[in-house]
Amino acid sequence: MGYGRRRLFRNLWGSLAVVGVIAGIGWGLPAINSEIPAERPVSASRPYPVGAGVTVVPPRGTSLDATQTAPGVTGGQVLFYIGGVRYAVVVGPFTGTLSAAAAKLRAQITSTRGYQVTGPESAIVTRAGVVGRQGMYASSGRDGRYAVFVDRDLAVNVTLAGNDVDLRPLLRKIESSVMTISFGAT
Amino acid sequence: MTSADATHGRSAVSAPVRPTPTGTRGRASLGLPAFWLLLVLLAIGAWRVSTLVGTAFTSYPVATVLAAVLFTLYAVPFVIVARSVDFLEREPPLLLAAALGWGGMVATTTAIAGNGAVHDLLAKLVSPAFAASWGPAISAPAIEELLKTLGVVVVVLVARKQVNSVVDGAVYGAFVGLGFQVVEDFIYAVNAVAIAGRGDHVGPVIVTFFLRGFLGGLWSHTLFSALAGAGIAYFVVRQNRPLWRRLAVAFGCLLGAWAFHFVWNSPWLSDGLGYGGLGVLAALLVKGIPPFLMVMLLLRAASGSEADFYLAELVGDPDVATSKELAALRTGRRRMAARRYAYARCGRKGANAVRMLQKAQAELAVELSRGGDRVPELREAVLVQRRRLIAFGHPEAADPPDRRRAWGSWAVGIGLSAAVAIAAAIAINALGGS
Repeated sequence: MGYGRRRLFRNLWGSLAVVGVIAGIGWGLPAINSEIPAERPVSASRPYPVGAGVTVVPPRGTSLDATQTAPGVTGGQVLFYIGGVRYAVVVGPFTGTLSAAAAKLRAQITSTRGYQVTGPESAIVTRAGVVGRQGMYASSGRDGRYAVFVDRDLAVNVTLAGNDVDLRPLLRKIESSVMTISFGAT
Repeated sequence: MTSADATHGRSAVSAPVRPTPTGTRGRASLGLPAFWLLLVLLAIGAWRVSTLVGTAFTSYPVATVLAAVLFTLYAVPFVIVARSVDFLEREPPLLLAAALGWGGMVATTTAIAGNGAVHDLLAKLVSPAFAASWGPAISAPAIEELLKTLGVVVVVLVARKQVNSVVDGAVYGAFVGLGFQVVEDFIYAVNAVAIAGRGDHVGPVIVTFFLRGFLGGLWSHTLFSALAGAGIAYFVVRQNRPLWRRLAVAFGCLLGAWAFHFVWNSPWLSDGLGYGGLGVLAALLVKGIPPFLMVMLLLRAASGSEADFYLAELVGDPDVATSKELAALRTGRRRMAARRYAYARCGRKGANAVRMLQKAQAELAVELSRGGDRVPELREAVLVQRRRLIAFGHPEAADPPDRRRAWGSWAVGIGLSAAVAIAAAIAINALGGS
């Protein structure tokens, strides 16, 4: 039994409308999103709230990736760009020791194919007196640094990544910024 | 008007149900563009979901298999309930599978891209803090409810004659939502394993199962899409109503699904008003139970209306169905009560005979409503089951005379749900989730 020509066209228009909505959501919205830059400037004169009361003062000349930044009540993250270096700070609930937090971060880093931790860890202390650990990692063409702090049932993971030419001149500046990490008022 | 409509003096246009015309064949859909669109989109969705599952399996094989098994089993009770609502005029299994596939493969994979884009746009155009707190409430309801409702629209485009009542739309919507819910929960579970950073551990899968399955699962996608699907079916079936009213109901139901989803995803009460875990649990119940009750009551009214339409076909023929049997056939709860009553009086065989009689009565009622030519054959099938019941000494498939009042079972159901929610919260806490 065939369909009437009118009904077939109605079905075709309906189908095209469905395709249109799916294409709009699946391709249109991402296309619009990709046209709008994610980077925005951020002030280096005041602490930036990462989440769960943790703050950090970014280095001068830093921009923020709005799409990779998500402050929250129990945790959060921020991604800064400085020169060609990615500077990420992530905070989340954690009840273990500093060693356990460092091991977890190392495992996260090395779970990415081609990434490996290089060299031993050393101590690092924030200006507020919170003791943490820091180390280095590398992948082909990129160097990285990491640091971990644990306080008040929170763990703060810091990772820096960039090629050697970009990273080396900025290291001191970014390390100074890492020292400004604060777990908030008691 | 069909012969059946003429017999009962009901207009095919004004009735709350538009029975599938006799001679309707599934193969006829092969000639429709929507059928091929559905096929192509399902194939693309299946490929994208299998890529996701394959990636997860490569990294976390044990956790991925456990997540797949748990959430597949989780879907079983939902399917049983939806099929119970769909008792009288059963929807074709292939169409239900297509609805499930649309939700699980087309809507989920499209929503991933759309949700991400809306979240990023909010972060860029408003602020990262706004996107973090309100992003899920703004993007997910708008994108996901629309995509899932399109699944019901496609079912209508492919097999319009199978969508006979508001209940049918709710059933197709529920299957679309269930497919979405299962695949989304699976993705959340394997993501939780990755975020935990402890390798192939099953703990995050179990926490996700309790958290999304029990604390948030009852009032989730299945329920929201059932509401939106009911609206689409109203638009299709109630041709006697003015166009503006049909559009208003369809958009109203979609808006209702959106609103329930928005409230559920919003940060309102997310801190449990400072009462810790118990406060958060109470907030989940406060956000979840009202839409759950509202949609269940709406569905109950719609299924009652559908049942009245079909069961009217059996009135006046006590050999086929007595008045007490008709009353028992009207709702799933009373059908079950009739089976339990038969079980108490004559064991498993009696309960089975009641089930068979109810099924035969439903098939006859639907065939009568369609004015179909299988009526004599189906009437005989009913009488065969009747004779079986008489042989068991339980001639009438009615529910027990001293059955509890409806509010009693509702109270038991809500109490049981609250107990399960509290048990799930305790389990999540014990497993170290938050």
